[in-house]
Amino acid sequence: MKSAAGPVLLTAVVTVFAWLILRAESQGEIALLFAIAIAAGVIALRTRLLAPLGHALDAHEGFAQGLAVAAVAVLALLLRDDDFALLLLVRVLIITVACLGLNVQFGYAGVVNFAGASFFGVGGYTAAVLSRVAGLPDWIVLFAGGAAAAIIGSVLLLPILRTRGHYAALITIAFALLFRTFLEVNDSLGGPQGLKLPEMVIGPFHFNEPVAIASFEGSFYLRYLVVALLLLVLAFGVVQRLERSWIGVTLDAVRLDETAAATFGLNIARWKIASFTLGNFITGVAGALSAFMIGFIAPNNYTFAESLIFVSILLLGGIGNPWGVALATSVVILLPEKLQILQEYRFLIFAILVVLVLLFRPVGLLPRPLRRLVGRT
Amino acid sequence: MSPSLLAQYVMNGAMLGMMYALVAVGFTLFFGVLDIIQFAHGDVVAAGAFAGLAAWTLLTAAGVASPAVLLPVVILVAAAATALLGALVARFIVLPVKSAPQLNVLLVTLMGGTVLRESIRLFYPGGSQPQLFPALLPTSGWNFGDFHLRFDNVILLVCGALLIAGTHFLINRTRLGLAIRAVAQDEETARTMGIDFKRVVLVTFALGSALAAFAGVMDGLYYNEVFFGMGLLLGVIGFAAAILGGLGNLYGAIVGGFLFAALQTIGAVALPFASAYKDVFAFGVVIILMALRPTGLIGERTSERV
Amino acid sequence: MRFAAAALIAALSFSANAKQTVRIAFIGPLTGGNSAIGLGGRNSADLAVRLRNADPKAKYQYELVVMDDECKPDAGVQMATKAGSDRTIIAGVTHYCSVVAMATVDTFHRFGLPTIVWGAVLPDITYANNFKEIHRVNGTMINQNDTNAKFMTDHGYKKVAVIHDTTDYGKGHNKYFSQFFQKDGGQILATFGVTADQQDFTAELTQIKALNPEALYFGGLTPIGVRIRAQMDKLGLKAQFDGTSGIVNDDFIKALGPLAEGALAFREGAPAEKLPGGKKFLEDYNKQGYSNPPEAYGPFAYAAAELLMDAIEKVGPDRKKVIAELANVKDRDSIIGKITFDDHGQNTVPAITKYVVQDGKWLTWEDSEYRSGKRKLVGK
Repeated sequence: MKSAAGPVLLTAVVTVFAWLILRAESQGEIALLFAIAIAAGVIALRTRLLAPLGHALDAHEGFAQGLAVAAVAVLALLLRDDDFALLLLVRVLIITVACLGLNVQFGYAGVVNFAGASFFGVGGYTAAVLSRVAGLPDWIVLFAGGAAAAIIGSVLLLPILRTRGHYAALITIAFALLFRTFLEVNDSLGGPQGLKLPEMVIGPFHFNEPVAIASFEGSFYLRYLVVALLLLVLAFGVVQRLERSWIGVTLDAVRLDETAAATFGLNIARWKIASFTLGNFITGVAGALSAFMIGFIAPNNYTFAESLIFVSILLLGGIGNPWGVALATSVVILLPEKLQILQEYRFLIFAILVVLVLLFRPVGLLPRPLRRLVGRT
Repeated sequence: MSPSLLAQYVMNGAMLGMMYALVAVGFTLFFGVLDIIQFAHGDVVAAGAFAGLAAWTLLTAAGVASPAVLLPVVILVAAAATALLGALVARFIVLPVKSAPQLNVLLVTLMGGTVLRESIRLFYPGGSQPQLFPALLPTSGWNFGDFHLRFDNVILLVCGALLIAGTHFLINRTRLGLAIRAVAQDEETARTMGIDFKRVVLVTFALGSALAAFAGVMDGLYYNEVFFGMGLLLGVIGFAAAILGGLGNLYGAIVGGFLFAALQTIGAVALPFASAYKDVFAFGVVIILMALRPTGLIGERTSERV
Repeated sequence: MRFAAAALIAALSFSANAKQTVRIAFIGPLTGGNSAIGLGGRNSADLAVRLRNADPKAKYQYELVVMDDECKPDAGVQMATKAGSDRTIIAGVTHYCSVVAMATVDTFHRFGLPTIVWGAVLPDITYANNFKEIHRVNGTMINQNDTNAKFMTDHGYKKVAVIHDTTDYGKGHNKYFSQFFQKDGGQILATFGVTADQQDFTAELTQIKALNPEALYFGGLTPIGVRIRAQMDKLGLKAQFDGTSGIVNDDFIKALGPLAEGALAFREGAPAEKLPGGKKFLEDYNKQGYSNPPEAYGPFAYAAAELLMDAIEKVGPDRKKVIAELANVKDRDSIIGKITFDDHGQNTVPAITKYVVQDGKWLTWEDSEYRSGKRKLVGK
């Protein structure tokens, strides 16, 4: 497999880079690594050197996905006792899952959702409440978080179906503000002081104890990493299947021109409902897992500003492209963290960077490729 | 509830409504000419208030004490600063991404707003804490039972109403207004008619932002305090008001602004649950109203382009 | 960039005198609505470290690792994990926001990192667990409100309306104040919870005015405290303004001007300028030229950093030994008064100071003209 060498090399380079950046501590190292990343990005764009590589990746997509999973696994093993690096890595995985949910809504059906963090929070709060129920296995609690997000989201369906564009945006914005205020003033869900979650237990695995298998020892975050990775593979699979199927084509039609789609007999409402609900479900599951991992939730985590960060991830990644979502999540989670050295200035710098990306690369880092009519080889 | 108490609530609501309406008018003007939402608008309002405050600080340091001089200067400086800021935002942030998807414009302006907000917090002296905004209007008033009517509130309300009326006149009765309306209706045709598109856009952004500056100064005079984060909620509420009324419609923005203030007041006072739920109530009603009137209370005039 | 320069200088001086470098974490809100207090705390902890490094008798060279918890639990846990898993960090001065401090106690316990809370006031942070790692120099809101309620009833305020913000800070204060005030024979006419970013309080205040209270208790921080006091005046609501530790800072007075006159507030610890070293703290702080004032909780962050460095000087840079050493803290002099940790790591000497604004300054009640009878509180 000659053409496989490219993807393998690329994955190896990215993995090593990720390892370096997760471990980097000093200002000099971090600045150097960012400079390399930016330079590599610019060169890749200018020279189109990566185009054949992209084709190779496309041609062996399953292989590429396997590589990506293997890369995360290798990274996890390399970092096995570095709790903080693992925490960051798991957070990237979880937020990627959440944003894949939004990707279904924004990217495929064209339904805007500025309340992503709220649905993420519904999942978290559901997990916090249900995990106290004795006898309910925690893996069911995870999916219940998704179900709750989907159900609560259905309250917004009617207004969302009736409105377009900015009017639809207002509905989810209003919901995001309402949700946060509600959590704060309502004492039955812990109010502003939030809720503590018990340890997650699935089968024989207690998630908050360090991993020790024979002579192998590692951080307790490794278990969360396994679950997050499983969820990501699952969500990625669902999202990609969806896009490739006739449903995906239908959603494209709905997004690009509702009126035309309707004249072709497509049931617009049905597809919008389906994608909004599916998206919220995925986001909710991610929220539930995140709540378990952090062990504590409070309204402060689910603000409108957080929702905006989710939307930034989508736009930065390139709307509609799951790979772009994964890349952008890594940037958006790791960049502010590595900018900690800038202390109180880091949000200012972060906002300026986002503005610059949007001005100079409005399609995002990895825009969604055009559909091809011909089947893959 | 006694009539005088009711009057007090109405007055409180009217003050709020006027501020929201002034902000909402900006949103609707920008949408009119460019079909975009300029989400940094709320933070431009805050920047205006801080510019006014800076002018006051410098003048009083220079020994000027007469409110009759200070007030007009504060307002003028605030308006000039925001007009410039609004035009800069239009020129360097909005126009370059005008043809990108709506979502991009929304996000880029939101992030631009964050840059403004953080800059005020970090670079205005003491900006991370609320700042005293001087009382430049006479603070005496009249008492009618539970109703305390203050002279400065009346002045602010009247000035706000005059400004909105002035904007209305400008849009409907002047050559500039004609150009703005032409661009709003059809950019291509307006261009072929020899209208300098870019200039009209910049002027509109300057105008809408200057109006917002008045809202900012009014906010400062009314609450005697300005805060770096004040623009965030003011922006979201102004946006909600503009949408609620129907985008691109001046009257809609005004109606939306006052309606939202009324909802908040009702939510805090007249409903059986704790007043902290007032925003939950107001935004809940907004969602329901949108379901009932999907293009706003005073609907947008454009029809679907097929 | 000043910090980058400071780090560079620290690195250079390290090579010069070859002392072992010991790292201490500071975690607090550096961005967002609570950033003013967070920056004040950061500067104060930084000051403690600088002064110690300038002391030739110190055995170690100290480095403050500053982290931003954004006042959000998930960011807080992330930073706690960062500090905890970094073995070169020996101890931490942690958290202003109670909700974050609650979220991170498990993390610090897991990593065995000794921490001293410098600002979060929720009682549960120290009392809902038995973790030896967690300490706190500032008092809980319980004592503060006990004193407050007693003061109010003693001065003849029996009918009080309450406004509190709906954060953990405001809600907790409301809970304890209402409890003590009613026990002391007072009557709460109405209670209003408001969100921390609310601007307009005229609806709530109009309702309160109709109830005609003698005083208004406010549980919350400076920003909305300022708004509420200013809007009371707009509506002609004449009631004594009674606040909590969250408004004892210069910004409250600066933002209100003459309207601040006569406002009451209560805070743990004696005022810095009255304590040995307290005055020096303020002088040193001003000498460093920080762009933000220390705010209400700066002295606590300073005291926490001092305690940790004292412990490290004594037992060396070892987390376990530092924890053991902190258990011995008893009647220790500091710029916030005597410090004694109980078996939960809570400082048990919360001398509550009563404050009142007089002529644009927070004075202790005992020193004020209100006490001597020269000036009168509202309605007295």
